Amino acid sequence: MAFIVFLCFLLPSRGTKFSIFAACNLFFVALMFGAVGLIDLAGGRAEIMVAIMTELPVVLIVAWVCLALAGGLPSRFGTLPAEPVARRPWLRTLLVSAPLVLGVSVGLATVVGLVWPSPAMRVYAPAPPQFFVLKALMMAPEGLYSGIASVVFVMAGWTPGLKRRFYYKNLAFSVGMACIALIAVESTIFAGSRVWFSGDGGRALLKTLNTLEACLAIVCILAFIAGLSLRYTPTVAATLLYRLQSGWLHAQEEFESHEWQAVSSGAADRLAHASRAVVEACHLRGLSTSHTERALATIRLVAVMRDPSSETQNITPDAARKLYELQQEILCDDVLASKISWAAGWRSRPHEPQTVKSAPLHDALKAALELVDNDVESEGERTPPLWYYIVAVSAADAKMIDPAQVSKQLRDGPEHRAAVEAYDSAKRSLRRIEDRD
Amino acid sequence: MRVEVPRRDLTGLFLDRLAVLWRPLRNLGAAQTRVEGTRSLLTAAEFQEELAILGLSGRRFEPEDYSDALADYLDISIVVHVIPDSWYPELSRLLALSGRLGELRYSEPMNLAAILVPGSLPPLVLTLTILHELGHLAAGDLLIDPDDQSAEDDPELEEATFGTLPLKKGKKLARGYPFARESLREREANLRASYALFAGCLGDDSPHAYDMYDVL
Repeated sequence: MAFIVFLCFLLPSRGTKFSIFAACNLFFVALMFGAVGLIDLAGGRAEIMVAIMTELPVVLIVAWVCLALAGGLPSRFGTLPAEPVARRPWLRTLLVSAPLVLGVSVGLATVVGLVWPSPAMRVYAPAPPQFFVLKALMMAPEGLYSGIASVVFVMAGWTPGLKRRFYYKNLAFSVGMACIALIAVESTIFAGSRVWFSGDGGRALLKTLNTLEACLAIVCILAFIAGLSLRYTPTVAATLLYRLQSGWLHAQEEFESHEWQAVSSGAADRLAHASRAVVEACHLRGLSTSHTERALATIRLVAVMRDPSSETQNITPDAARKLYELQQEILCDDVLASKISWAAGWRSRPHEPQTVKSAPLHDALKAALELVDNDVESEGERTPPLWYYIVAVSAADAKMIDPAQVSKQLRDGPEHRAAVEAYDSAKRSLRRIEDRD
Repeated sequence: MRVEVPRRDLTGLFLDRLAVLWRPLRNLGAAQTRVEGTRSLLTAAEFQEELAILGLSGRRFEPEDYSDALADYLDISIVVHVIPDSWYPELSRLLALSGRLGELRYSEPMNLAAILVPGSLPPLVLTLTILHELGHLAAGDLLIDPDDQSAEDDPELEEATFGTLPLKKGKKLARGYPFARESLREREANLRASYALFAGCLGDDSPHAYDMYDVL
């Protein structure tokens, strides 16, 4: 029944490696019980072998779960341990030992069963004490590891701030593993009852225990199905994250650090004066800090891109365009663009963190490319902000770009005139300060 | 990065002398570096395990939180100095000319690591530089014996695993030993920095954090 439920409802919708493994085990158990129904089992040893074979799938499932929790499965089945296990090395060691301990216990039980055969498959028949030893050898480690796994699932689900779906998922698996642990305890008591209790009283106890085991098995299967059915898709896929890391982050870090190195080592010698004039002009026109930052970032980029020295060779229009395109890719995804942020400084929580969109670099790249690269397509009849005009005037004045090209591009409108006026005032003001010093 | 070794008493001095005598004898049998084993570069999943150990897996965190958690785990003090250009104008120029973005100093006797970065660095580069230096501390790169470092030949990118070195003493966060080649240690510190930045931004939206709560 469990196999059919798994096959019909779970596998088509949620085919994890574990669910496929569990389905195979359930199929094996179904085959074993079918064979027992069809073949007449004569002799204690045959019964022992069948009893062990029917128990083996449960042992394998417990071993798989323990290894999965410890992150000990082969890499193609997943390598990460459960969060509570990662923080406790001793727990990891304990869980990793599950396959070995369970394997040894099954081996020992098989030896005991073959040396002292008992009616293992006749449910209510009286059994010798060796049968209890056989059962206890298998059930004690199975119950122990299932119990530990159940507690680990609870710990994983209990993590503060965890999404509700993970909480219910881990809770469901915890219930499933707790049921296996209880079945192990119940099976041991059942075996003891067959050894030490006889008559009507003993039979009634065995029937009650049998019903309990069936109920626990049903709850266990349902809990696992519930746990496996609860799905959660992360907002950002691992492949996208890898692409961002090796593409955008790498490109931006390299670009900005090369630019900083070029500026700090004094390669772009025309920059110092031009940037001071730009800041002063922005201040005179009452522009906001964010606009002034954009203007400053743009004039720096233009200066570095137009500098012929070897220190600036990595900051080219091509590199700037590539980075701008990578940033545009991120900005196409609103959720991602809002999530990826970095602090504006060390221990500067009161300040808003920067994002790809809010950082001055994005607008500066576009503006610098428009000023430096004559082939770049401008966006129709869009009117650029005033800071752009100020940068253009400053860059033309510092001979970083062709003044005739700037005049043609800015069409001598009111913003252009305002920028020229602000820039001239800024230069005069700076000259006065220099003369005074 | 710079490592300041502790000053020792007379016994320490004697042991140092003995170590100096022992080193050539040890190297007689091994012409190459004393390699501890091999391993591949850190993956995002392995870094997530490190975050779980620090109690940061599945949480949004700032580089400061990572630094504090790492300091607690390693049982050392980590101080980050962002030095404004106006305080020490030569720092940016000297670092830029040397092709570096920051400096990590470690004092064993004081259990103190100091990270120096110029304040003029762009914010993203500043964050990544600090995380890069913290990555060296997490990897235990400062705990290897300088004499054990291998010659800097270009690592073959086709290689899947690279040689590592044993540690002198001290605690590290990483499961594997530091790489013998300095270029690989730098590459891994870069990887750690980028993993940390994304993990801190995404919190439990990170696919690797999600894997730790959905093992089946």
